[in-house]
Amino acid sequence: MNTTTAVPAAPALTAGETIRRSDRRLGVLMLAPALIYIALLVAIPFLLALVLSLTNSSAGSLEFSFVGLQNFKNVVASAVFRRALWNTFVFTFVSQLTVMVLGNVLARALMKPFRGKGLARFLILLPWAAPISLATLGWLWIFDSTFSVINWVLKVAGWLGPGQWYYWLGDTTLGMVAIITIQVWRMLPFSTVILLAGLTSIPNEVREASAIDGAGLFSRIFRIEIPMMRPILTVAVLFGVVFTFTDMSVVYLLTRGGPYNSTHVLASLAFQEGVLGGDVGRGAAVAIFLVPVLVILAVFMLRTSRRAEVV
Amino acid sequence: MQTRRQFVVRGTTLVAVGAAATAAGPTIVVRDARAAGQLKVLQWAHFVPAYDKWFDPFAKEWGAKHGVEVTVDHVNFAEVVPRATADVAAQSGHDIHMFIGLASAFEEQVIDLTDVSSALEKKYGKPVELAHRSTYNPFTRKQFAISDMWVPDPGNYHKEIWTKIGKPNGPVSYDDLVWAAPEVKKVAPQMQIPIGIGLSQDIDSNMAVRNMLWCHGGSIQDKDGNVVLNSPETLRALEYAKKLYSVGMTQAVLSWNAASNNQAFNAQETSYILNSISAYRTAQDNKLPVLDHYFFVPALKGPTGTQLASEHVMSGYVIWKFSKNQDAAKEFLVGLIDASRESMLASKLYNFPSYYGAAAEANTPLNKKSESGAAWIAAQCNKDPFGSNPPDKLALLAKSLPWSTNLGYPGFANPAEGEIFDTYVLTDMFAKAATGALSPKDSMMEASNRAKEIFTKWRQKKMVPGGGKDK
Repeated sequence: MNTTTAVPAAPALTAGETIRRSDRRLGVLMLAPALIYIALLVAIPFLLALVLSLTNSSAGSLEFSFVGLQNFKNVVASAVFRRALWNTFVFTFVSQLTVMVLGNVLARALMKPFRGKGLARFLILLPWAAPISLATLGWLWIFDSTFSVINWVLKVAGWLGPGQWYYWLGDTTLGMVAIITIQVWRMLPFSTVILLAGLTSIPNEVREASAIDGAGLFSRIFRIEIPMMRPILTVAVLFGVVFTFTDMSVVYLLTRGGPYNSTHVLASLAFQEGVLGGDVGRGAAVAIFLVPVLVILAVFMLRTSRRAEVV
Repeated sequence: MQTRRQFVVRGTTLVAVGAAATAAGPTIVVRDARAAGQLKVLQWAHFVPAYDKWFDPFAKEWGAKHGVEVTVDHVNFAEVVPRATADVAAQSGHDIHMFIGLASAFEEQVIDLTDVSSALEKKYGKPVELAHRSTYNPFTRKQFAISDMWVPDPGNYHKEIWTKIGKPNGPVSYDDLVWAAPEVKKVAPQMQIPIGIGLSQDIDSNMAVRNMLWCHGGSIQDKDGNVVLNSPETLRALEYAKKLYSVGMTQAVLSWNAASNNQAFNAQETSYILNSISAYRTAQDNKLPVLDHYFFVPALKGPTGTQLASEHVMSGYVIWKFSKNQDAAKEFLVGLIDASRESMLASKLYNFPSYYGAAAEANTPLNKKSESGAAWIAAQCNKDPFGSNPPDKLALLAKSLPWSTNLGYPGFANPAEGEIFDTYVLTDMFAKAATGALSPKDSMMEASNRAKEIFTKWRQKKMVPGGGKDK
């Protein structure tokens, strides 16, 4: 006698459940390349940097020993590092503030119809498209302490008297001005495009209503348009800040951190110590200092953006 | 008919499969070419472009004769160390890596070339002392590199200007520079920088500040590897730099890169620089107005008569431990030394052989080879085959060996000296003292502490001697 107990058949999936399951699989499949990229090129190097910062690793050796927080202690005690940390904040804050202001102005200008708008837009976007190494080589000549075209023009215009000269890359303050100028020039197109997208997304009826209610230009900008653009502004600022905070190319190509290590930012100092100097542990320790600031910035900005969306 | 969802799923799957195939393909299809006899060389892009035009065909021809396919990659000089770091981290890349400064930091990752060095000595005699001190570590007793060439670092001066101020043969001592600076300003007010000695974070400045330091009796280490930067002699050098900067330089020199002093001299914006003959050859190639006034002097003397200059460039060829063709690599290095005459001529006398004996006349007995090689070198310098006017303009280079020395003087080159070089500890010390950013004493102490930190670290790795007598 057959005593097999019949197993109740699984309830058939409804059409909705089948679609949801395949949606989930599709979602995972489509996210996978980005996640793998982030894991391989961001997460793993970050964890490696964290580990190396606790060791005496050097460029010429595959062996290392753990030294605890010694690298961090040495780095914090270094006047060069403290200067680089300060420079990083100044570089980021000043350049991004300038970019936001100028980007707003450019975006508003590009909203208006005018002849040659296409060409203007192309020229504005060009710095973003140009490879930074080539662009910086051009700027290197513009700011050259001996052959600067800026100085030459100022001299011809009578601004610089006899014996007067701007040593753009040989003076600590002027060096930072030069670095910030290039970063603004480079980031402006990106911010302009994002702000333009934000401005054009504001319905015209809102502007018209505010005009009817007697709002002036600045009232309209600061009380209506900027609050409405906050999510987009947040994205622009977040990208700009992160990009600038972690950038080393402008400093490395323009001043190499000089004069006497006074224009280094954290990224360029990490490169000089870790790669050029061969002290990988120390370089990693310098680089790790970027992380807490970036995390705080990202959390803050994303929260601000989310709050604005909810409202 | 497929739905949009089905299309997206199939398309995504196809892309994923394609990407996987692309990644896997080469590992399946291509055999390891190294097994077939390949040699990859990483070489700097020479400051005299004509040299690379000789080197690349030389390497190919050598390879063809020896059944090896030789590939040469040229990188900017600033990329030499980062590329080495990358190759070591990946444990693959090139077989031979040419350093133009100190290769000693990578000692652990390279093979011992004592056999090559011994073979070359048996063939040509000993290398010049500064090449030996740049490629051998007496602490670990390892010949970590082979040098085929070094480059003298003479003073380059503007003869017309110096004649006007009463010194037609140029400066002899560092005090001459301090004396000359205000005189140059009077006779050539258009010159932006009367004395063009760099104090910036670049290779030329690194050499220049070491020259100043040594000629004033100071040094980073003593001959036994103890850090002795904190000394009255160093202070004297810094006081000198401060004086020279105040009378003869501007902030421009704080921003110079490796090409800046060349550019300034060729544009007649300065009357004196420390440089190899690369700037001169550029002036020749481009027939610049400065050419007729372009002359050379030996290393300057310090206050006690010490006359020393660092080599401007010292080649150090290493063979990585991960190289799969180490024997061929060793033979290549020997072949390169064999071609020392051709190398010197191809570089327009920029390269000086590290083995003088390799430039000797054929059939010269071993004990006379260095002498014969020196005679040949002198013959080239005394009558420049590349059109100097007068023909003996470069004659002083033939006598440059006595006043040329290695990075690490008075000791051997080592990884700590290399790290101090590559992180600009010394140029910063001089720049801060010269500009008043720090007092000379504070500047010296800051640099000394950093130097001791670096030396201590490398001593813990047992690659650098000394420590008991650090100042």
